Amino acid sequence: MSASRSALRPYVCSSCRHGVLAPRRRFSSKPAQNPEIYDVVCVGGGPAGLGLLAALRASPVTSKLKVALVESQDLDKARSWDLPTHEFSNRVSSLTPSSVAFLRRIGALELLDTDRVQDYQQMQVWDGETGSKISFDWAEETSPFEDPRTVATMTENANLVRALLSRIEASGDENLKIFSKTTVSSIENGSDHPDGPDLSAWPVLTVAPSEASPASTSEPPVRIAARLLVGADGINSPVRSFADIATEGWDYNRHGVVATLALSDSEAPTFPAGMRTAFQRFLPALGGPIALLPLPNNHATLVWSTTPEHAAYLKSLPPNAFISMVNAAFRLSMTDLKYMMKMKRVGEEEEVNQHDAELTWRLQHTPQPNHIPPMVTGVQERSVASFPLRFRHASTYISPRVALIGDAAHVIHPLAGQGLNLGLGDVASLSNTIEYAVTHGMDVGDLLSLERYSTERWGANAKVGGVCDLLHKLYNVPGQGPVAWGRSLGLNVIDRLPFVKGFLMRQAEGGA
Amino acid sequence: MAARPSLSRVSRVINSLASTSFSSSSSSSFSSSSSAPASLSPSTFLRRHSSVSADELSHFSGLANSWWDPMGPSRVLHLMNPLRHEFIATCLATGDTSNSTGNTTSPPANLHYLDIGCGGGIFAESLARTIPLTPSVPGTPTRAASMTAIDPSPHLIRIARAHARTDPTVDAHLRSGHFKYLNTTLEELSERLLKEEEAKEAEQPTGGKFDMVTLFEVIEHIDPNTSTPATFLTNALRLLKPGGWLVGSTIARTFPSFLVNQVIAEAPWPVGVVPRGTHEWSKFVNPDELEGWAKDGVRTVRSQLHNPSGSQNKALEWLCCGVMYFPGLGWKMVPGSESWGNYFWAVRV
Ligand SMILES: Cc1cc2nc3c(=O)[nH]c(=O)nc-3n(C[C@H](O)[C@H](O)[C@H](O)COP(=O)(O)OP(=O)(O)OC[C@H]3O[C@@H](n4cnc5c(N)ncnc54)[C@H](O)[C@@H]3O)c2cc1C
Ligand SMILES: C[S@@+](CC[C@H](N)C(=O)[O-])C[C@H]1O[C@@H](n2cnc3c(N)ncnc32)[C@H](O)[C@@H]1O
Repeated sequence: MSASRSALRPYVCSSCRHGVLAPRRRFSSKPAQNPEIYDVVCVGGGPAGLGLLAALRASPVTSKLKVALVESQDLDKARSWDLPTHEFSNRVSSLTPSSVAFLRRIGALELLDTDRVQDYQQMQVWDGETGSKISFDWAEETSPFEDPRTVATMTENANLVRALLSRIEASGDENLKIFSKTTVSSIENGSDHPDGPDLSAWPVLTVAPSEASPASTSEPPVRIAARLLVGADGINSPVRSFADIATEGWDYNRHGVVATLALSDSEAPTFPAGMRTAFQRFLPALGGPIALLPLPNNHATLVWSTTPEHAAYLKSLPPNAFISMVNAAFRLSMTDLKYMMKMKRVGEEEEVNQHDAELTWRLQHTPQPNHIPPMVTGVQERSVASFPLRFRHASTYISPRVALIGDAAHVIHPLAGQGLNLGLGDVASLSNTIEYAVTHGMDVGDLLSLERYSTERWGANAKVGGVCDLLHKLYNVPGQGPVAWGRSLGLNVIDRLPFVKGFLMRQAEGGA
Repeated sequence: MAARPSLSRVSRVINSLASTSFSSSSSSSFSSSSSAPASLSPSTFLRRHSSVSADELSHFSGLANSWWDPMGPSRVLHLMNPLRHEFIATCLATGDTSNSTGNTTSPPANLHYLDIGCGGGIFAESLARTIPLTPSVPGTPTRAASMTAIDPSPHLIRIARAHARTDPTVDAHLRSGHFKYLNTTLEELSERLLKEEEAKEAEQPTGGKFDMVTLFEVIEHIDPNTSTPATFLTNALRLLKPGGWLVGSTIARTFPSFLVNQVIAEAPWPVGVVPRGTHEWSKFVNPDELEGWAKDGVRTVRSQLHNPSGSQNKALEWLCCGVMYFPGLGWKMVPGSESWGNYFWAVRV
């Protein structure tokens, strides 16, 4: 009891702080109507929050729980998201087979637009400095007549979000309330009603139309009480600050440059046919790896982790020069790349692509390994963007009547494409935890119920986040010194030991 | 729903009990205690009239403030609680022949529960939470329709009631009468129910009112000077309808249990997991002793209360399963470990 009181403190959204001064007093002076009571209130309608709602609605044990979701963005836009078949969103995630299995189990996989989804069966990863290589190649372990094993499945986040929304809608609207274009403006403890339940240790949220929304003047704020308040509200989680949960973390001083690219037809036919490969080259001198991940119809998505300066430079280049830089990054030496990152920028209308000329000339003098990706031939308009890369880990995922999932709980370096997968792992674990609590008469908001979730997830996520951080650091030491030598030894050794490699692969797949 | 008619009958009986809190119970049940001044401490009173041990009562009342603290002294009981639900589900599945036909729809939540020695309400509240608020909500495998929970400690009952109010679902069941906390002893409750029964249906005694009676971590705490486990069990069995289950958990009196429960579990923090003075090893009950008393009790109750001719040849159903606590993993059912320490048991009248 005492723990549950002290762990919570009122949260007031920073932009509302002046308007809603001392919310506690405001509500007591004007005896507000009793809040509407929900079993689960999820703040945040990103992949994690929608995934949780879909999972709860899919299980017969939890489908009758009264649930609410609060999302500040317009979910109607996410619902009606549509792009021509040859265009792709630049926010794409690789789903591990266990994430895919989870989506299948909750009935969301079949709602994905499969024409926009791409499996890949092989991964080429190498160190641009030492040339040391590790190839994740399942095909050598399965017979050619079997389907080669999928390493991961590339899916646009928007495609996933739309599928989760339709899965939730297919479950009907009984006991379900979705507050779209609605922002949490405050969270505080409820009160003890003399002729009703004692909600003094329950989080009560005040939600109001998001500022941008035209409805903001007409609709009054709504108060809702949560048996379990789930923070799926991203890196700056308001729920996390309400629960007073500390986070450890740092900024990598790196940006992830993303883009949607078109590839040349690959010269060598793949065997088995239709086999697709992901490519990743570590570029110690430029601050991080560049990755090219396959999308349907010979397209690919780019994630290039590099310094903010390089990121700004890349974003400022005209399309042709940008393409040349990407092709160079998979092929040229660190010295060449550093040189090209400093070349004078030329205007859009420039006839000659100096970067291309530079690349063509330098390529003649650079021996190429046989595992490089096909040449990039096009970049989709307005698809080049960049995101700051950060590491965050909440000190705990639970507090009385509060659980954190997804980026609200952890943000990791994207070099292994695990961020969203960790979030879906959280969702699978938390929905199982809730299911167990319901069948065993436990209060789903009680710490004793939630312990299961944090035991399953905190350590596992810390391990993956730690490995990504370690890889980032290891591959940021340029030159031929001892670290680079150890690196080359490390990757070659791993490549020669199928057992170790298998273990790493299972980790990458989200198993084990 | 089939549960409703029979429930109203139980509620009628229980409602009359609800007004009978411990200190005011004197008038009808015990003429000798009618003179007991209200100021008399409950433990003195109980020492004379029931199987409640005064030392025990003050021990558990002392723990009351932290009873619901998930990290507090009752943490082990909290952690064991989900297994109680599973063991009950096992009992019901054993007794249920209707499902052998491959019937997949879940059986109705129509069972009336009595929790004896509910303490701060760890089990009682959790079971009350599974009572469907509306018919559309699925029940759980414990199939609860109502819960009556009793404990002689007024302090613990107060704690239990206050905690129940922090959950709107449980609070709603308290208000509707599907869930009740009574400050009374088993002996008092039996006497009271029996009198009511006699007053109403003088022709033929029909047995108890409950489908399920639970007795978790209680049998090892009763006062050996005023009662015996055998009498206590028979009293509990009397409250069951024919075919109902008496389900409990306790600790075997063995060398390992002595070591674990008296030496290690009650050791000073951080080794110990239960507060000092929680257990008296000599009061622990072994599974074979318990089985003997329970089966004797069933025979007695069947011959006295139920149809004496037919029921006598009915088989005696007895279930028993050990549970062990693994640090870091929690409690696990370990069949065959009964005589090692903690175990669940159940018997059917
Ligand atoms: C460059 C880059 C590449 C990546 N690549 C991969 C990859 O290949 N594979 C992978 O698994 N992951 C990848 N990730 C990580 C992945 O994108 C994130 O982990 C994932 O999107 C997080 O989902 P979420 O639902 O937890 O949070 P978010 O998507 O951040 O959702 C949070 C939601 O909460 C809402 N919200 C916030 N505050 C409030 C409030 N007060 N009231 C109401 N609503 C609120 C927001 O509007 C938002 O919709 C990548 C990340 C980056 C930066
Ligand atoms: C160890 S506690 C068990 C609490 C609860 N059953 C649980 O496991 O969470 C034992 C309880 O038995 C109660 N008790 C002792 N003698 C009793 C009696 N004769 N009738 C009813 N309850 C009794 C005590 O007051 C005490 O709260």
